[in-house]
Amino acid sequence: MELRTFVGGVHPAPSKERTAGSPIQAAPLPRRVVIPLAQGGAPCDPLVNKGDAVLVGQKIGESKAFVSAPVHASISGKVVGIETCLLPTGREAPAVIIEGDGTDTWIDSTGRKLEELSPESLKALIREAGLVGMGGAMFPTHVKVSPPPGKSFDSVIINGAECEPFLTCDQRLMVEEPEKIILGLKAWLKVTGAKRGYIGIENNKPEAISALKRAAADEKDIEVVPLRTKYPQGSEKQLIKAILGREVPSGGLPVDAGALVQNVGTTYALATALETGRPLVERVVTVTGTPVKNPQNLRVRIGTLVSDLLSYCGVEGEVGKIISGGPMMGIALPTADVPVIKGTSGILLLTIEEATTLPERACIRCGRCVDACPIGLIPTFLDQFCRKEMWDLAEDYHVQDCIECGSCAYVCPSKRHLVPALRLGKAEVLARRRRK
Amino acid sequence: MEEKKAVPSFDKLIVASSPHIRAAETVDRLMWQVIIALIPAAAVSVYFFGIRSLVLMLVGVASAVLTEALVQKALKKEITIADGSAALTGLLLAFNVPANAPWWMVAVGAAFAIAVVKQTFGGLGANFVNPALAARAFMLAAWPQHMTGRFPVPLDSITAATPLAILKGTATGTLPSYLDLFIGNVGGVLGETSALALLVGGAYLIWQKVIDWRTPAGFIGTVALLTWIFGGKGGLFTGDPLYHVLAGGLILGAFFMATDYVTSPITPKGRLIFGIGCGFITVLIRLWGGYPEGVSYSILLMNLVVPFLDRWTLPRVYGVTRARA
Amino acid sequence: MNMLRTFYNGIVPENPTLRLVIGMCPVLAVTTAVVNSVWMGLAVIFVLTASNILISLLRKFIPDKIRIPCFIVVIATFTTIADLVLAAVQPDVHKILGVFVPLIVVNCIILGRAEAFASKNPVHLALADGVGMGIGFTLAIMILASIREILGNGSWFGIRFMPAGFEPATVMILPPGAFVSLGFLLGTMNLITARLAARNSRSTERVPSHAADAGLEG
Ligand code: SF4
Ligand code: SF4
Repeated sequence: MELRTFVGGVHPAPSKERTAGSPIQAAPLPRRVVIPLAQGGAPCDPLVNKGDAVLVGQKIGESKAFVSAPVHASISGKVVGIETCLLPTGREAPAVIIEGDGTDTWIDSTGRKLEELSPESLKALIREAGLVGMGGAMFPTHVKVSPPPGKSFDSVIINGAECEPFLTCDQRLMVEEPEKIILGLKAWLKVTGAKRGYIGIENNKPEAISALKRAAADEKDIEVVPLRTKYPQGSEKQLIKAILGREVPSGGLPVDAGALVQNVGTTYALATALETGRPLVERVVTVTGTPVKNPQNLRVRIGTLVSDLLSYCGVEGEVGKIISGGPMMGIALPTADVPVIKGTSGILLLTIEEATTLPERACIRCGRCVDACPIGLIPTFLDQFCRKEMWDLAEDYHVQDCIECGSCAYVCPSKRHLVPALRLGKAEVLARRRRK
Repeated sequence: MEEKKAVPSFDKLIVASSPHIRAAETVDRLMWQVIIALIPAAAVSVYFFGIRSLVLMLVGVASAVLTEALVQKALKKEITIADGSAALTGLLLAFNVPANAPWWMVAVGAAFAIAVVKQTFGGLGANFVNPALAARAFMLAAWPQHMTGRFPVPLDSITAATPLAILKGTATGTLPSYLDLFIGNVGGVLGETSALALLVGGAYLIWQKVIDWRTPAGFIGTVALLTWIFGGKGGLFTGDPLYHVLAGGLILGAFFMATDYVTSPITPKGRLIFGIGCGFITVLIRLWGGYPEGVSYSILLMNLVVPFLDRWTLPRVYGVTRARA
Repeated sequence: MNMLRTFYNGIVPENPTLRLVIGMCPVLAVTTAVVNSVWMGLAVIFVLTASNILISLLRKFIPDKIRIPCFIVVIATFTTIADLVLAAVQPDVHKILGVFVPLIVVNCIILGRAEAFASKNPVHLALADGVGMGIGFTLAIMILASIREILGNGSWFGIRFMPAGFEPATVMILPPGAFVSLGFLLGTMNLITARLAARNSRSTERVPSHAADAGLEG
């Protein structure tokens, strides 16, 4: 069978060998965690004060806004302060700092059976568990599963593509916990009322494909779809196109194509919340890269400092870049003193040589960026329009449809810094539209 | 954490935008690949036309590279002669002159290509016509006595009319055989004679994904089709497409000049149309125009419409159904 | 002083050909040989100066609404004189210049100076302007013609002086050569003015100027 995929895209070296085979291990319990109050949607108001004792899973921040997910303590201990901290997203935001007591005492919680829950109570459970998109976008999940009036979902897709090089956290979850992924998917189907569930996995992860096929053997409504290995296969729009053959209209949401796309980590967190009643307080993080001595997939409490993870895994030589996320779309961190948040899928270290890029040269119009763009844009034109602040032309050429996947910059022989220019243009065009 | 190890130092962290990894391809590598692909044709040329051919090529390359360096220095720009683009222009230019051309003409032509056609418009990436071809047109207008007429014959010191001129009937002589045309044992400019060597180079470039197959395919295909239909003396469909493809500068032009990134369309569809357009104009000139050969003018003319082709052939944007303005 | 400055203005700061870039047809057409450009230049100097003087004299009498037709009548008169004189003294050159001498009537430089300068200024300044602009034009086309004749024909004023081995580039005396050389001439001129302006502004920057602070232009 012809493997399903999308048009365009690039083939960066997967670089996953060092962690693909290593089972998920629990990271040591951190002494101290920094839990940002804004992790998905509007920032939460703190529910605790300095000096309060907290248990694992206790809600410590909540907002009245609908588009917001609560946050929970990830270790037991004492709140030592609520301070402004640097987040891996590059922004600064208030965070609750908890000093651990080393006992790891959980709040009381009980699991629920999926069959007993109505879609409405399931949605409430999702919100209470603090679920957000764990691929990086961190959009509150209870909002994502609520279609706007007049629209509905007919399909749910679990995004098992994991097309970012180096990252293997989703892959390991699929291999090790296929039943829970299937349970989570069934919960998505129930809460959205969708008929069909799909799990899209790139065909370079045969173990994950067979594990899930086995787990889903008895499920008529669930299909495991092997996909061509190509970046950005795991982008929502590309995944929907590949699996359903539909397109999300320009400026629209996946629901406009009847599809809900969920991350593997989020699905796993939902299954955990169902089975145990415990909220989202930990996630799997791939810690890898050439300077890392023992690269591995770690089960990490939210709020653990990146520097703690790195000293646990060991670092050799000089580090040129610390990236939160994958190498194609991740964010380069200015310091290792930032916490792991719900959207941190990986911590990738590059050596100085790997991180040093060749100087930018003039565009030679080779067209490689055009062939690579999964959206069908002309990145080099947009780059010029944005640098020259020709916003009308940028809008005519659809800069606002760019998904910032970086495929264009990846292939560019002139090493053009296409993505920052396009990101700027996107923001400018959207701002201008709002002003109108 | 239980056993606290010394935290490694992170004082050299680079903060830059994604993507953090880049493909290995560079402009320099692409340009040198094209030069490598021209080596077979250059070798055949030296074999058939002698050491004179090598001298002209070296003069072309040296003059182009030197001019690029001087202009960039004068304009206080970064000197980028290592990227190979100037060397490539110089080589292609030398490929476009006959073996008995004076060396100074090649030197001036290469300097013209770089200084006038390329650098005055902003250097690599900004010129709107192919520098080597524009310089060829310049030489043709400046010193027609050295660029037209009778060309040296391989392995011999006599001159003869080119096959295309004979075919057109503007000159007399015996037409060489297909085999001679294919291996390059015919009169012509340095780089164009050996279809075999050029095809080897062109195939290498397509295999290495340096050039898009669409341009040469559209170009050669159109020429073959149109010369088959209209090229014959005995009515429609009596032409000799093979002869038209093998003779003259078509293969050189289609694989190495029309595919110049800077002056060809940026979209795949655009490149196909570009090739077809080049083929169309070539046939117009060859069959009904004033010159026996039309490859280089056809490419120059198509260079001019590239911005329109780009605009007409924009790829469909994901999620947009309505046609773009 | 003022006359001198007006005169100089036409040669460098507002050279009609290289700075204002007006009246380009003869610039491109007659610069194939230096001799032609000299005669063309003389004809323009004559027409320009004479019409400038006359228009300046008549400026109080010419009704504003029909000033352009009046200018044209004046210019046409002098152009016809120039054309006939040239035909009489230099029939060969006259044949080569062909239609471009009568076309001086519609040359932007002359009408432009009449409109922009002569019709607003006293006679002595109009005279200085006419001569200055005329010489500016003549110098510009002579430079261009020199480049083209030397490169395209190996000669200057018709005298072949390049070594025998030099093969002239025919293209330079064809239209493309005109455009390319003109482009380079304009570019060089812009480069020089830009460098001069940069140097001037740097020298004024050192002296704090209240005019500059107030955003006034000197
Ligand atoms: S970053 Fe934007 S323009 Fe570049 S390839 Fe991705 S979608 Fe296309
Ligand atoms: S890939 Fe780079 S050099 Fe090629 S067209 Fe795009 S921006 Fe220009």
